[in-house]
Amino acid sequence: MHRSRFLILWLVASLFCLTLYWPGLKAWFQQDDFAWLSLGMNVHTAPELWNALFAPKAQGTIRPWSERAFFMGFFALFGLDALPYRALVFATQLLNLALLISITRRLTASWLAAAFAPIFWAANASLGLPMSWTSAYNQILCATFLLGAFYCLLRWTESDSARWYVAQWVVFLLGFGTLELNVVYPVIAAAYTLLASRRHFARTIPMFAASAAYALLHRWLAPRAREGPYAMHFDSSIWTTLATYWSDAFGGTRLAALEVPPWLSAIGLAAPWVLSLGLGTFIVFRLRNRQWLVIWPLVWFLAVIGPVLPLRDHISSYYNAIPSLGLAILGAWAFAAAWRANLPGKAAAVIAAAIYLSTSSPVARAIVSYNFERSRAVRDLVLGVARIRELHPGKVILLNGVGTDRFWAGINDKPFRLLPVGDVWLTPGSEDSIQALPDLGDVGAFVYPPAATLRALRQNQAVVYEASGPRLRNITQTYQNMAQLRLKATLPSRIDAGNPAFSDQLGKGWYEAEGGYRWMGKRAEVRLGAPSRPGSRLQIQGFCPASQLLAGPLHLKVFIDNKPNPAVVVNRADEEFVFFFLVPEQLKNNDFIEIVLEVDRTVTPPGDGRSLGLAFGSFTLRTP
Amino acid sequence: MRRLTLLFAAVVVLSAATSCKRPPAKVETIEAEQPELASVVSAGDPAHAVQFVQGFYDIEQGAWRWTRGKFSITLQAPGGAAQKGATLELKFVLPGAVIQKTGPVTMSAVLDGNALPPEKFEKEGAQVLRREIPPAIFRGPSVNVEFTLDKFLAAGAVEERELGVIVQTAALMAK
Repeated sequence: MHRSRFLILWLVASLFCLTLYWPGLKAWFQQDDFAWLSLGMNVHTAPELWNALFAPKAQGTIRPWSERAFFMGFFALFGLDALPYRALVFATQLLNLALLISITRRLTASWLAAAFAPIFWAANASLGLPMSWTSAYNQILCATFLLGAFYCLLRWTESDSARWYVAQWVVFLLGFGTLELNVVYPVIAAAYTLLASRRHFARTIPMFAASAAYALLHRWLAPRAREGPYAMHFDSSIWTTLATYWSDAFGGTRLAALEVPPWLSAIGLAAPWVLSLGLGTFIVFRLRNRQWLVIWPLVWFLAVIGPVLPLRDHISSYYNAIPSLGLAILGAWAFAAAWRANLPGKAAAVIAAAIYLSTSSPVARAIVSYNFERSRAVRDLVLGVARIRELHPGKVILLNGVGTDRFWAGINDKPFRLLPVGDVWLTPGSEDSIQALPDLGDVGAFVYPPAATLRALRQNQAVVYEASGPRLRNITQTYQNMAQLRLKATLPSRIDAGNPAFSDQLGKGWYEAEGGYRWMGKRAEVRLGAPSRPGSRLQIQGFCPASQLLAGPLHLKVFIDNKPNPAVVVNRADEEFVFFFLVPEQLKNNDFIEIVLEVDRTVTPPGDGRSLGLAFGSFTLRTP
Repeated sequence: MRRLTLLFAAVVVLSAATSCKRPPAKVETIEAEQPELASVVSAGDPAHAVQFVQGFYDIEQGAWRWTRGKFSITLQAPGGAAQKGATLELKFVLPGAVIQKTGPVTMSAVLDGNALPPEKFEKEGAQVLRREIPPAIFRGPSVNVEFTLDKFLAAGAVEERELGVIVQTAALMAK
């Protein structure tokens, strides 16, 4: 009986979830997905594999199961076919719904609550992104590990079987491979045992030690950001951030951004207040009857949202995906209790559920639809470029009219290397129509230089495609007509030294480009387009192999327009270096600036014959 | 536990069901070129996008594009323009969100270095800037028109983009 009831509830919840998030199953890749997909491209040895799986990456994250092994393994198996990736995300979520049904049933002793908890959670707007963007799989999988460990805890407290206790530990420890948030599990476990099964409390304490050890290790491997969006602020802003997440957990506040009737939008704005009042009333009633367990879902919410509260400048709605599980359980519990009470109770339960579902699920659906459309546009761009390469092998591919959204979703993370297709660039001037987002990247790094564009078109070495429509359109001839009349062969203010397209701007003292870099000898010259405004800074970026530092640090002198700057020291082996220099306000020439680089010594590797100074990647003028 | 194990098996089966490696889908491109520039261009038509040279944001609703405070369009000179001249026509919308903050907006245009008389727009909604272009200005197959607004919404005023007007079409019409 229990089994069939469980199965029916799971099927209903799964059907609801699949219906709401269906476009997410058909979504393609975008943004960070491409960085993760390319992770395995440079893995050839066991140490490289270890590094790819476990070395801290963006913002110090270490997530082998939910990101690295997942993307690397699936890319090896399925390449750029997104469906298997999406199928795994959905399958994991359906497993979460099953765990949630089982847990809610055990916590509340109510089948009605067990039926509604997965519906309420699935309808939460914060799931929109994880259910439509593969890089956010970590949220779905982390929920699996947290729910899985807690399910084991419940079974252990019910049965006192050591098997379940060990199982809880195993799931908990493996959970660290999905998301750092797993660190809060001991709070969830300890809170439950304190509230409902006190004799088991002491045995949850060792898990705090495991979390502390992980936190220390993580801190050591990935130092805390001091500035930028990921800087942590331990001040009163935490309370404002908590209020934002609490309000956002009901989803409806974001209805105003959608095209919905004003009355529905008004209900959405009122939803956090009305629903908070309802939940608060339920909690007070339960506490008056000394039913302390009612606090536990709140502990879940606070424990899981807690680690992101200091991120004052990086509030993301999808951070509520796992915390909202607690509110879903609480809401379903309140719904079941009110339904059992009396007629006004039934009415209140239905109204509250209707308010929540009608205001949160449309937001979730809108987010999924947006990401579906966005990812499909990226797919058409990326696979369209693959088709261009088939049609025009060996030619430089220039994309014109790539807008802001397509650039940041589909080009900035370099998807073309996965095809693999090289020599794909934006037409000169494209940077003007793409919004600059310095935290994400530099549009200028993708723009082909005007002089090289004119030359490549003249020599029939480039094709130009218009990317502003749904399909890429060959406009080579039209663009060439335009370019001959309008495009000035000005020097760009940014160059990739390692790319032959920019070799016009390199003077004496350089060797051939290799692997995206270019070696200088003892002295080398570069020419960049003059800055448009005073106060610009020159950014130089390069790489220093350990062999160059065997005799001690290298000193690099940079002359801008013949004016010397104090020498900078390169002393970090096998690492990228970046230095900034102020550009003089009085320039000799209005069109370009001359840069001279000089190192204090060179190294000649055995069997090479070249006298090598430093390897350079890019030279960029940053204008205020 | 058995139920969950079964469910997990279902998870694996569902993933395995999609596990045959399929070749990447083919996305065709449009290869038929329109070799000449157009005299009449629509901001919503990707085929004309290359002629919206500077100061335009992405196509929206397949029909129009927001501009910055300065924007330029290249147009093919219509047949006989070098003898009879032509009429320049820019159709655009001055949105309430802009004019309510900026007040009346004056638009000026420079056609291949030749300044045209500016025009002040005081009401929100659909507008047309129309100017007669003398034949002497047409010295090549196409002309570049640079438009400048004296007032616009600076980046960050309403949204992160600098916002001018919403352009629908631009045209050089034969006389």
